Amino acid sequence: MNSKRSVLVVFALLALVATSVPLIGQRFRSRFMEPGMGFADPDVRAEFFFTRLAYSGYGGGRRGRSSWTTDWPQADYHFMQGVRRLTGIDAAEGGRFVQPVDDEIYEYPWIYAVEVGNWVLSDEEAANMREYLLRGGFLMVDDFHGGYEWSDFMESMQKVFPDRPVVDIPESDALMTIVFDIDQKIQIPNVGYAQRGVTWEREDGFPAHWRGIYDDEERLIVAINHNMDLGDAWEHADYPLYPERFTSLAYRFGVNYVVYAMTH
Amino acid sequence: MFEFLFKYPLSVYRKGEFLFASGLSVWLLFIAAAAAAGGIWWYLQRSHARLSQAKQWILWGLQSAMAALALLMLWQPGLAVRSLKSEQNVVSVLLDLSRSMALAEGDQSRLQQAVAALDDGVIEGLRERFSVRFYGFSGDVSRLESLEVLPDPGNATHIGEAVAGVLRESAAAPLGAVVVISDGSDNSGSFSREVMAAIRNSRVPIHTVGVGRTVIPGDIELSNIDLAARALPKSRVTARATIEHGGDGGETRLTVRDGTTILASKDISLRRGEQVQAEWIDFPAGEPGIRDLRFSLDPLPNEEITGNNYLRRVLDVPRGRKKVLYVEGEPRWEYKFIRRAMTKDESVNLVSLLRTSTNKYYRQGVETADQLEEGFPETAEELFTYDGLIIGSFEAAFFTPEQQRMIRDFVGKRGGTLLMLGGRAGLADGGWGASQVEETLPVQLAVSGSKTFSREKAKVSLTVEGRDSLITRLAADPAENTKLWDELPELADYQTFGELKPAAVTLLNVSRGGEQSPLLVRQNYGRGKTMILATGGTWRWKMSLPHEDERHHTFWRQLLRAMSADSPGAVTISSDRSLYADDPRMQLRAEVRTKEYDPANNAIVTATVTADDGTASAVEMHPSTEEQGIYLAEVTATKAGAYRIEAQAFLGEDSLGAAALHVRREDGVAEDFHPVQNRDLLTRLAEQTGGQYWTVDDLSGLPEQIRFSDAGITAREILDLWDMPFLFLMLLALKGCEWMLRRQWGVI
Repeated sequence: MNSKRSVLVVFALLALVATSVPLIGQRFRSRFMEPGMGFADPDVRAEFFFTRLAYSGYGGGRRGRSSWTTDWPQADYHFMQGVRRLTGIDAAEGGRFVQPVDDEIYEYPWIYAVEVGNWVLSDEEAANMREYLLRGGFLMVDDFHGGYEWSDFMESMQKVFPDRPVVDIPESDALMTIVFDIDQKIQIPNVGYAQRGVTWEREDGFPAHWRGIYDDEERLIVAINHNMDLGDAWEHADYPLYPERFTSLAYRFGVNYVVYAMTH
Repeated sequence: MFEFLFKYPLSVYRKGEFLFASGLSVWLLFIAAAAAAGGIWWYLQRSHARLSQAKQWILWGLQSAMAALALLMLWQPGLAVRSLKSEQNVVSVLLDLSRSMALAEGDQSRLQQAVAALDDGVIEGLRERFSVRFYGFSGDVSRLESLEVLPDPGNATHIGEAVAGVLRESAAAPLGAVVVISDGSDNSGSFSREVMAAIRNSRVPIHTVGVGRTVIPGDIELSNIDLAARALPKSRVTARATIEHGGDGGETRLTVRDGTTILASKDISLRRGEQVQAEWIDFPAGEPGIRDLRFSLDPLPNEEITGNNYLRRVLDVPRGRKKVLYVEGEPRWEYKFIRRAMTKDESVNLVSLLRTSTNKYYRQGVETADQLEEGFPETAEELFTYDGLIIGSFEAAFFTPEQQRMIRDFVGKRGGTLLMLGGRAGLADGGWGASQVEETLPVQLAVSGSKTFSREKAKVSLTVEGRDSLITRLAADPAENTKLWDELPELADYQTFGELKPAAVTLLNVSRGGEQSPLLVRQNYGRGKTMILATGGTWRWKMSLPHEDERHHTFWRQLLRAMSADSPGAVTISSDRSLYADDPRMQLRAEVRTKEYDPANNAIVTATVTADDGTASAVEMHPSTEEQGIYLAEVTATKAGAYRIEAQAFLGEDSLGAAALHVRREDGVAEDFHPVQNRDLLTRLAEQTGGQYWTVDDLSGLPEQIRFSDAGITAREILDLWDMPFLFLMLLALKGCEWMLRRQWGVI
């Protein structure tokens, strides 16, 4: 009798879980996932996809997700809405993700890596990233702060390019005017600014650095946003408390990065 | 044989008029023949009644034919011809004294053979009836006192000019005929139809005597090199070599040298059964400057004549870059990777105009701050400063009707190249099928209908024409080249279109799901070219292959060089030949256009000819009476060496531009080429003037035949034909047949 009751209880729990998961998912989706948001279906065809680099690393991202998914899917979706509206690029609404060792990475000449203070690239991954960039790929890194995360970022980045320096992007670079004329390099904070009013995440996380790595033809191939969080600015573009000036600057920079990557 | 049977050569029959010398009516001949036939039939009916009807008919036929022949002979058939009066006419004998006549033919040279044949009764025979004048010719013609003392061999053979010169000199004399003794190796390059017509119009029969072998076993000749006059710096150049050989097979090697540097070489198998073979060889143009190229063929074992195994050419690699304008309607990866391909190119400057968003443009490669500042050029003068134009994924409606007309004229009038790329707004999907540009394109574009652009991956393959094209040359070796194309990754996308136009050539195909369609198509239109590359996805070649792999960049560089290399300027100059072998006369042709590329008819055009020792002379070119905007001049290259010819054109005070050309004069080489007897030329010359072709081995009939001529002082002469052997043989044959039949039938 007891065993029968136990079986019934287990079935009841399983049934409860089975019925509540879709409801939870639906609730989650209704809160976070608008139509078209998330990763694009494999059969979607477009010239440009917002492509995240699914790197391996320390993990520990928010809400139990890996670091590389930070701000996903709203940041990707909101930014792509901007790219579709502000440029003539045939950009997909949904994004893609690729791992550093995937051959699939070569299908997407623009990739976005977030919270790269947490990334750890193996030698094989670093070699593949170097090859990707030398073939003509473009990497935008974002949302890492302070000296500690910079060191961690550079540890892997120097595996990719041991001998290419990281330099500040000069005002004269085509990046600054290619679509939008950008005459300010203010620190673009995370959503915490709306709550705490500070622009930095780490105590040593300011000022903002717009840096990059150039190839032999002086083309920017890695864009490095240090002490900034453009991803949050895109993600919270519809959050009333997040200042519009940060979001619009993040959009302008993002659009310029994309168009620069498609022209140089 | 003809002469044996019919008593006179065919040429006499052609000249003569048939008649009956008896003075009896032709009708009477027919009546007599009919009466004889009737009498024979009456006789056979009476005397051979026991024979069957069929046998009677056969006998009647044979006997009637004999009677008719006999009657024909009684009527005395003859030929009325005009013949030269004895001792009142001149016969000119032209002896080829060029260097090729010194070639050994057995124990004797060709010249010795010719003189021996003339001495063997021919001259004597001619002198019995005519006054004989002797001339020697090579590059020019001069009178000879006798055949015993001959001048040194000349370096050229100008048969047409020699004959025409003698005809002119003898215009006042009763010239009855001309005899030309030669191997026929004319290398003047000017023995044209016009020269032949002028000779024919003199109505003087030209008898030709061929000397020399018609085949020289084991000889190969590099008879021509087709090579563009100019090439872009660091581009690859293709030359087409024409090789003549005996068709006996064999192996040789074609080598291209610039001075002592070998630029390229290629092993060649001479194909059996073919006597003319075309081979292509490509080599690097190198840095800006003048390339003094020497093309050579390795001699075959025991090859007798090796002087015809090489040719020289001058290649001009001018400094400066061509300009190609690329307009793109949307940011896309193809744009980026095309620009990357051209980043280091020293011969083509890719200027691009990218529409980043509605009414926002981004310019790259511009040379001045205001270049393309207002967007796509709005005047022909501005657009025509470019040599090539690429239109990417850009809808036709963006361009005004005037701009579309300018694009059409850019190809047809300016002589530029238009390349249209596939894309969301490219080709038919961009509405180009209904544009003014459509008529220039090599394919039919749908005016409306379903989408033709697809973002599905697709495989590329070379066509037969693509294997020979420099645009698609990824490796010099054809097999390696095909392999490199076969191994390329798929394109990111492709586009389809309608039927190819008649002049279109497909260089690349694209295949997906077993279906194949053209990808890269080109055609000539007006003065320029148009091309279609129906994809925006070649960028995958760069992203999917190791970064050292240059195939993507090589393809695009070659494509853009091909687009721009031949683009003419407002002033162009060309010559009738690039190599003047033992010939100093250069025919120059300049084409002069205004800034809008309309023909400029009132320009002052000066050609300055500068030899390699720095001496220069200038000549004013005169406008052609037949073509608009064309100016002509003949200049003389006084000595061997390289020459730079520069044409400058002015319209009033305004300069229309300048153009330069490099040519070479080389001495002592022309006679090494075409060493076999050119029997075709000699036969043609004789037949078209009423003369006869003779071989040097049998000239015995020449003095007799030469008298039949309409030229000079002539008299009408009737040549008997009734005694020709053919008629007697026919009589004999008919009677013989009858006798054999009668014997068989027992009615003898």
